[in-house]
Amino acid sequence: MAILTVLWEKWIEFKHEWLKITGTAMISPILYLLTFGLGLGMDKVVDGHSYMAFLIPGIIALTTMNASFNAIGMSLNVQRLYEKSFDNVLASPTPLGQYIIGQMIGGSLRGMYAGSLILGIAYIFGAPIQVNLIFFLVMLLNGMAFSALGVMAAIISKTHADISRFSTFVILPMTFIGNTFFPVANMPSLLKSVVQVLPLTHSSSLLRQISYGEPASLASFFIMVVYTIVFMVVALIKINISKNL
Amino acid sequence: MLELIEIEKKFQEKKILENINFKVDKGEFFGLLGSNGAGKTTMIKLISTLLLPSHGKILLDRNEITRNNVEIKKRITTVTQEYTLRGDMSVDEIMEYQGRLYRIPREQRKRDSKDLLEFCGLMEHRKKRVRELSGGMKRKLMLCRALLPKPELVLLDEPTVGLDPFSRRQMWDLISGLNQQGMTFILTTHYMEEAQMLCKRIALIDEGRLLDIAPPLELINQLGNIAVEVVSPGGIQQEYFRNRELALAYAGSLNDPFTLRQTNLEDVFIKRLGRGID
Repeated sequence: MAILTVLWEKWIEFKHEWLKITGTAMISPILYLLTFGLGLGMDKVVDGHSYMAFLIPGIIALTTMNASFNAIGMSLNVQRLYEKSFDNVLASPTPLGQYIIGQMIGGSLRGMYAGSLILGIAYIFGAPIQVNLIFFLVMLLNGMAFSALGVMAAIISKTHADISRFSTFVILPMTFIGNTFFPVANMPSLLKSVVQVLPLTHSSSLLRQISYGEPASLASFFIMVVYTIVFMVVALIKINISKNL
Repeated sequence: MLELIEIEKKFQEKKILENINFKVDKGEFFGLLGSNGAGKTTMIKLISTLLLPSHGKILLDRNEITRNNVEIKKRITTVTQEYTLRGDMSVDEIMEYQGRLYRIPREQRKRDSKDLLEFCGLMEHRKKRVRELSGGMKRKLMLCRALLPKPELVLLDEPTVGLDPFSRRQMWDLISGLNQQGMTFILTTHYMEEAQMLCKRIALIDEGRLLDIAPPLELINQLGNIAVEVVSPGGIQQEYFRNRELALAYAGSLNDPFTLRQTNLEDVFIKRLGRGID
């Protein structure tokens, strides 16, 4: 099964670079925790919870997003445009749908790995959050959505710079405004209507609901699934019909 | 076995290939010759589905080769002109990855990888990452990778570039041996001796158009199998003759020094394609 082959490939990638991958996954979230959590928001209360309790699910969501997107988007972009090793996959009898799903699962596992590291650090910081199986399921789904976006971005990109631009214009703004560092309710109404449709807003919201011990929103869950399917289908169509991939 | 029907390929509005039609028989060693930019690599990429044609079809045993035709793609492998290898993987992992992509059973892929790597002198380097290998080693690894699934059709796009003469001959032995066992090859190369030695038929391509398809000897005979090479103040010029007598008669009338020799494929290339090898 081609999905397993892709997962094997992602495992080899991880095995060779695990130290770098781990360090890269942790540095930004730790800085966010220190700057926003311990520095700026130590004495703040949001929706009746401490700012730290508000912040940590958001940071886990953005960490999962970044780790999944980079694990797939950056890696596939290099394989397609620089190493050209994607050519060998494309020429092989690998069903392209399975290839994309394999990338999504692999990227999602990388996202979960990074998110779990931050969760562990948060507990060391004494974070007052609850975690259950659905929490990890949301992390997995978040990773799937952004891995699919990574495949799509890597396939659409025409140069290495394009994928960096995609990160700058799509991923970076989402990191800061996607219901991560401050509540959507506090935003100006025009910005709020944009932010409310972003996938990260919904994954942050879901993780926060679970960590507060509240019921998870089915609507947010559904929106995440729709995003995942849309990104996957766009990537699949692009790979299939692109005459000069 | 393989059939290209009315193939046309455009990049934006520029035609790279135009009305390409030819067939390659099972077990044939087929060459594609042309100067740089003639469209040879584009043709290889179209057959391997890395590119899709703007018009026309490519069939393997009457089945269209498409990106999703998994059963057909199982039967074809490619050695691309560029090093299409993961730099972070080791030699062993590259072979393992290929085995998995082509769904070769575990025991078979281990055994066949070992045999191929041993033949190509890569066994002692099997733990090295690709980025640590020399250019020649990468070339050999790409050939090993392409042969691992035991494909029916192998596309070779300048496979021996960067190899030393010994390694090149080793590669020729390997692929001509496999060809004798029935494996079909399509080769692009700028080494004319390679094409002349290996190919049963050769297609001459110029600016995206197919000029001729014939066995190497026939292409040479069409030109004249004896060449008179004249060294004059204006440079080196060649004239071609059907036989030695005609060549000698011409040479006798010359005032400049000359050499009499057998015509080769390089002469055909220069004469038919109107310029030297880039």
